[in-house]
Amino acid sequence: MKDPYEVLGVASSASAADIQKAYRKLAKKLHPDLNPGDKRAEEKFKEVAAAYDLLSDTEKRKRFDSGEIDATGAERPQHQFYRDFAGADDGRPYTNSAGFSDFINEDDAFAELLRRSQEARANRRGEDLRYQLAIDFVDSIAGTTKRITLPDGGTLDVKIPPGLVDGNVIRLKGKGEPGAGKGGPGDALIEVEVLPDRRFTRDGDDISLELPVSLSEAVLGGRIRVPTPTGDVTMAIPKGSNTGTTLRLRGKGAPRRGGGSGDELVKLKIVLPKSPDPELEAFVSNWDIGKNFNPREGSAS
Amino acid sequence: MIMTRQEFLTSSGVEAQTLEFWLEQEWLIPERNAGGMRFSEHDVARARLIRDLKADLGINDEGIDVVLHLVDQLHGVRRALAQLRAELRREPT
Repeated sequence: MKDPYEVLGVASSASAADIQKAYRKLAKKLHPDLNPGDKRAEEKFKEVAAAYDLLSDTEKRKRFDSGEIDATGAERPQHQFYRDFAGADDGRPYTNSAGFSDFINEDDAFAELLRRSQEARANRRGEDLRYQLAIDFVDSIAGTTKRITLPDGGTLDVKIPPGLVDGNVIRLKGKGEPGAGKGGPGDALIEVEVLPDRRFTRDGDDISLELPVSLSEAVLGGRIRVPTPTGDVTMAIPKGSNTGTTLRLRGKGAPRRGGGSGDELVKLKIVLPKSPDPELEAFVSNWDIGKNFNPREGSAS
Repeated sequence: MIMTRQEFLTSSGVEAQTLEFWLEQEWLIPERNAGGMRFSEHDVARARLIRDLKADLGINDEGIDVVLHLVDQLHGVRRALAQLRAELRREPT
């Protein structure tokens, strides 16, 4: 950082009053909020302010003069100036048009443009409001209605359409901030998070489910109950099914855009009884075909 | 970030009495709802400007009134200019 005396343009013997005077003179010219369009004003102002912070503090100035400290580290903490806000949004409630209202009443193209943009402001549409909502996986497939509580205590009923995907945004027309003049209200935008389900996973319009089956169900086949997002259904398992055998429940997946539904894919997983069964052991040890069958045959291992 | 009156006083270091005066002068116009005043970052930055004008630049209350009025007009003009610029870009000349 530069020599603070040089930055303020004062001699190193300057009095406290001279330093304040020099600073004020520079700050009036350089304060970023008094120069909203000058990007460089901020840099210069910071330099001047840091120099003043150092030299206006008698203790710090003494230590600087004696060489104990240098001019670094004196910068003021970063903050946003007023101009950054006055320039954003629509500047309400402070900004006003008194500075050019005389031009608006003229009869030329310039005035016409000004009038049009003023009108657009006067009839401004309300802001959109954003909310977040988490729903269960099952509700995302079957659809439901959820009520969210707004920060002001009001409530909003959100209809979740069947087949909604994680991250979808539901737009409720007219449920945002009120507009001005003829501008209608904004919308409420609800971003929906679908919570993961321990049973189901979704792949496009299809839903997958891993379903445990007993050895006898797998070997002999049978009818078993299978959960789907819209309730249990009965499904036939063919004789000789295996772990990994995937059965398809048509139309039990997520609804498709424009009609129809995806499928539910049921992947079977054979589960043996928890405690070893002597009868099963005896059977398997005498079962020659079973013992001679090598499921790894032809694979790399 | 939106602050209540108390949060605003704490974070800005402005005295309660000073804030009352600023509100009375309409130098600050926070939003109001059933729960009281709501200060936006916009209001906080404006409070910082008022403090700079007063403490750093030695401008008195009468002067601050004038400065804020001119600054508000300046931003109005800048906004109108920006809108005109946008309109001109859109319209083929």
